Amino acid sequence: MIRTIANRFKWNAARYFTQTCSINSDASLCQNAASLKVDQLADIKESELKEISDPLKFPDYFGVRKLFRIKDLFDARIHYGHKDGTLDPNMKPYIFGSRLGHLIFDLDKTAEMLQDALNFTAHIAYRGGIILFVSHCPQHTLTVENAAKQAGEYAHAREWDFHIFTNSEKVYNGVTRLPDLVILLSTLNPQMQEHTAVKDAAKMCIPTIGIVDSNSNPNLITYPIPGNDDSPAAVQLYCNLFRDAILLGKSKKPMEVY
Amino acid sequence: MAVLRELVVFPSKCFRGVRSYFFSAPLFQNGSLKLNESVSKDGHALDFEQSDTKKMSKAMKSYMERAKIHDNFIKQQLHEYNIGKRHLANMMGKDPEFFTQTDVDEAIRYLFPSGLFDPRARPMMKHPDEIYPKRKAAEFDVNGRPYHSLFYTSKPNYYTLMHDLAVKFKQLDRHEDKIISRGIQNQKPTELFLFGSEWIPKQKIENVLLESLTDAQYVNLIKTFERFSQHPYSVIEKDFIMQFRRQLAAQVEIQQVPELMRDESGRPYMTYNARRKTSNATVKVIGQGTGVISINETDIHFFQREQDKKQIIFPLQFSDMLGKVDVVATVDGCGTSAQSGAIRLGISMCLRSFVNAETIERMRLAGLLSFDPRTRERKKPGQAGARKKFTWKKR
Repeated sequence: MIRTIANRFKWNAARYFTQTCSINSDASLCQNAASLKVDQLADIKESELKEISDPLKFPDYFGVRKLFRIKDLFDARIHYGHKDGTLDPNMKPYIFGSRLGHLIFDLDKTAEMLQDALNFTAHIAYRGGIILFVSHCPQHTLTVENAAKQAGEYAHAREWDFHIFTNSEKVYNGVTRLPDLVILLSTLNPQMQEHTAVKDAAKMCIPTIGIVDSNSNPNLITYPIPGNDDSPAAVQLYCNLFRDAILLGKSKKPMEVY
Repeated sequence: MAVLRELVVFPSKCFRGVRSYFFSAPLFQNGSLKLNESVSKDGHALDFEQSDTKKMSKAMKSYMERAKIHDNFIKQQLHEYNIGKRHLANMMGKDPEFFTQTDVDEAIRYLFPSGLFDPRARPMMKHPDEIYPKRKAAEFDVNGRPYHSLFYTSKPNYYTLMHDLAVKFKQLDRHEDKIISRGIQNQKPTELFLFGSEWIPKQKIENVLLESLTDAQYVNLIKTFERFSQHPYSVIEKDFIMQFRRQLAAQVEIQQVPELMRDESGRPYMTYNARRKTSNATVKVIGQGTGVISINETDIHFFQREQDKKQIIFPLQFSDMLGKVDVVATVDGCGTSAQSGAIRLGISMCLRSFVNAETIERMRLAGLLSFDPRTRERKKPGQAGARKKFTWKKR
């Protein structure tokens, strides 16, 4: 029994060291990790073991930064914003500039915020939280619903009923568990107004991740991701990334039910 | 998270094997999870483990309460129904063991005769499953996680249907692309034949989906189906589409035109009894004739007025049978106008057997084949006649 547990620690410890390795990009440390032996690990203190097994102590426990590169974002046209005149003042920090009247997002900033969001998603999935994909654009309904199904989570890519979060007992005929995370593939509805889910999730203390385009307001969103929300290729990429992050989170999940 | 606080660990008994693998060693002594074996509480609990024990999510709890109440209610109703059936059988002097639902209906009709028009308003005794609508089963598991991916839309079955339609549409597009790429463009696919059926109404769809729809949602669904069935290769999904169609009721029965009869000399003839106001006419039109018209054993001059004679001749003229058939008519009752009208109708109805379908349709459109239902309007009290009023005095 102890040996099997120790083996588990070896795995965890090795990962711990490789994680630090990826943070610092130090090749020597990685080599050290590989040369650690079982008996050395068994000497590690109890408190350190507990440190190792807590995912929250790591900046990227699930390795979500490996899911995409900036080139993938560029290929999916995520850097395309709307026209100059439609810029929301709150989005100014995320804009790289404009070209021929069209705004361009700063993909470095987008990449950083996307990593944060994916990491958060993976942690929520790891803890068995309910994740709801929300989108109101009819063009992307199928993409979003498929991604949610593949991830084993939930989707609402249809016309939004105002009472879903705030009056859920009436809507679902009884007490229901509300989502623990709302991922908005687009923060605007077809009438170019802010999607009700943004406000309602904030009211119900549900964290949100949202793809904010240059004409949207990121203020109420917990983890905004500045980027294009209109191209089918962009939405497909986001869906794939979130799905993969969720699956990563679930794969690491210990067999406990929350 | 506040929401996660509600949830707790599933009873540890089920997961004992797994737990013991992780937690039985002295190194791991996180006491927040209560196992069957006593675990000492030293060592801090990991952040994500709950300190509450063995409770269900609030959602599940509330659902279980409601389900229990409903189940008990249905059980009670079923019990009453079965006892009631036995009582009825005794009352009617029949065997309680073999008392069917039809027997129950008959007994109720006998014992509780009702003069009410609508059958749904009359007393009835049916199995509770037929009276109380079916409810959806638990939509989420013990932890409150819904089973259906589209649960939060509040109409998962409806939106699943829409989703499936979109998926099938894409499949048909891919099929079409394949056919085109193989170069079989000229081959026209068999068309989906939807004549004689209509889309099932909103109520039926609600019963199938067990969800109520708004009118807009129903219209949207039908529009999607229409668009789907207009795809050139929609015949592949015929079975799926026909599930949502119902056959139209039989068309209004077209009046059968009677066959011509033959008399002793072999000439074809047709008879008809026609009415107009209170006059009755028996008309016989004989083919292979020369245009002889006989009314009450006199010729057409039975009618003195020009307009009455015209009425008689009009159907023959219209169907181009003026000199080709003989007419023998007897008429009595009412006045000349009614009598000529009756004979006219009689001639028209008999001529149907002599002419082709197109002419019959033309005659119908001309109004020759319609019975004239106008009768004399009665006189009303307080008035001089049916419509005529007495002199109106201002003061």
